[in-house]
Amino acid sequence: MELKELYVTASLAQLDLSDEEAETLSALVGQMVEYFSTMREIDVENLEPTTHALLKTNRVREDAVVESAAADTLVGNAPESEGRFIVIPNVL
Amino acid sequence: MYQAFVGLEIHVQLLTKSKVFCGCRAAFGDEPNTNVCPVCMGYPGVLPTLNRQAIVQAYLVARALDCELSESAVFERKNYFYPDLPKNYQISQLGSPVGRNGRVDLDLGGSRRRVPIREVHLEEDAGKMIHAGDVSLLDYNRAGTPLLEIVTEPVLERGEEAELFLQYFRRMVRYLGVCDGNMEEGSLRCDANVSVNRPGKGLGSKVEIKNMNSSRFVKKALAFEIARQSGLLDRGAPVAQETRLWNENRDLTEAMRSKEEADDYRYFPEPDLPPFKPDAAFLLDVEKGLVELPSARRERLVAEYGLGPDQVDFIIDEKSRADFFERTVALGADPLAAASWLGSDVKRLLNREGVELAESPLTPERLAGLLVLLASGRIHGKIAKQVLEVLFAEGKDPETIIRERAWEQLIDAGAIAKLVDEAIDANEKAAAQIRAGDEKPVGFLVGEIMKATSGRAEPQLVRSVLKERLAKSR
Ligand SMILES: [Zn+2]
Repeated sequence: MELKELYVTASLAQLDLSDEEAETLSALVGQMVEYFSTMREIDVENLEPTTHALLKTNRVREDAVVESAAADTLVGNAPESEGRFIVIPNVL
Repeated sequence: MYQAFVGLEIHVQLLTKSKVFCGCRAAFGDEPNTNVCPVCMGYPGVLPTLNRQAIVQAYLVARALDCELSESAVFERKNYFYPDLPKNYQISQLGSPVGRNGRVDLDLGGSRRRVPIREVHLEEDAGKMIHAGDVSLLDYNRAGTPLLEIVTEPVLERGEEAELFLQYFRRMVRYLGVCDGNMEEGSLRCDANVSVNRPGKGLGSKVEIKNMNSSRFVKKALAFEIARQSGLLDRGAPVAQETRLWNENRDLTEAMRSKEEADDYRYFPEPDLPPFKPDAAFLLDVEKGLVELPSARRERLVAEYGLGPDQVDFIIDEKSRADFFERTVALGADPLAAASWLGSDVKRLLNREGVELAESPLTPERLAGLLVLLASGRIHGKIAKQVLEVLFAEGKDPETIIRERAWEQLIDAGAIAKLVDEAIDANEKAAAQIRAGDEKPVGFLVGEIMKATSGRAEPQLVRSVLKERLAKSR
């Protein structure tokens, strides 16, 4: 795998790679990409893509409100909060 | 001259009670971060489940836009990092959306324009951010509420056309009851893409415009943008492919900071949600929701009741108003009178009281009652207006109001004759003049009788009885 491609992929995943890590990973990731290219050789003409192996039927729920018992805990899990707002550094 | 190509991307917040993939309340204005749970906050190990009402509404809109309905609607993850997105991906649709290849035949005032609808897809909304100084405040109550995206082909040519399309669309979703259509509050949002080129040369460089939170701003922003791009082409300057924001205070579009590389959302099928395959029972529910749409209703009301163009536009603008109108007519009111009262006196009172028709004391039964009283001559026009005032103030039926106030018009011949005789006795001189053939005092005597009855006597009847009486005794 090209190093440049690896860096793009890493940045999409919000990962900072050191040069050393990039070296190691490029070989490993390259191997994975090769597996995919092998899979790509399979003839899938006229086959409907299988997105799910097990979920065959519709799974829906009625439009009913379930009061969230965990809301306070979830806000509490945030590193910083103000009132009920979760606070982060300004991203604008 | 140049040709402009405008496409719209519209987002509507669907009117469901709960979020699209979890049971959290889908409400606005609640305390921040109260309607959140591990599912919509993206905790590991949770399982999203599709809200049936949300998918019904999604298919309903696709159906109303004449789309081909998907036999298998697939949900996919759209991956990107932004703090308003707690999961770091948005559940959306890409390859197999709810609907495709629809159309709207837009009435451009005289001519028609077919606007092809590229697709309709269901996704989840993001949270809200408030930027305050050094920090940003996050509220995830909106994260995971159902959002429907509608994309048109770029066939609109002017800001006015986009505005008309948006008005049409807003009215449609309100008729279907799937969205309140409030652009200021963001329950209906519209972005546009604009490109300008020499005629016959196809699309030019595409510019995206965001931040237009009213249909009027859409019109103004597009007019500005078309002129801006035309100006660049005039000077032989290139049009940059970028995203611009409408600045409503300065009446212009401004370039957003442009990204160096193209977006890469790495979509893949959402492993936790099976594709949705509508069955017969589901499609029946969709059909049930398909009400008569505004344009069809407009045509029918004109044909059936002979309403004029302005009248019918006013009546059909709101489904509840059109329903009210037709119910009133069904109860015996004259259609033109009903439309005219709704568009004038009723409208004025609603504005003055600051209430909606549906919440006001006026019902189709009451309006029909009033208009029938008026048409049958039991009350006259001025009294009818007063009855309406009292109806709004006291919430009573017109019959009750005219009985309590003795406002019913006097049309009983005997009673009128008695009033006429009294007036003749009290005004000997005028009566004598009339007997002598001078008609001048007739008006005076009629006026006296009207005064004595506080305007309730039927003036034509008074006049003819009076003339008869004074002619006879000659
Ligand atoms: Zn939730």
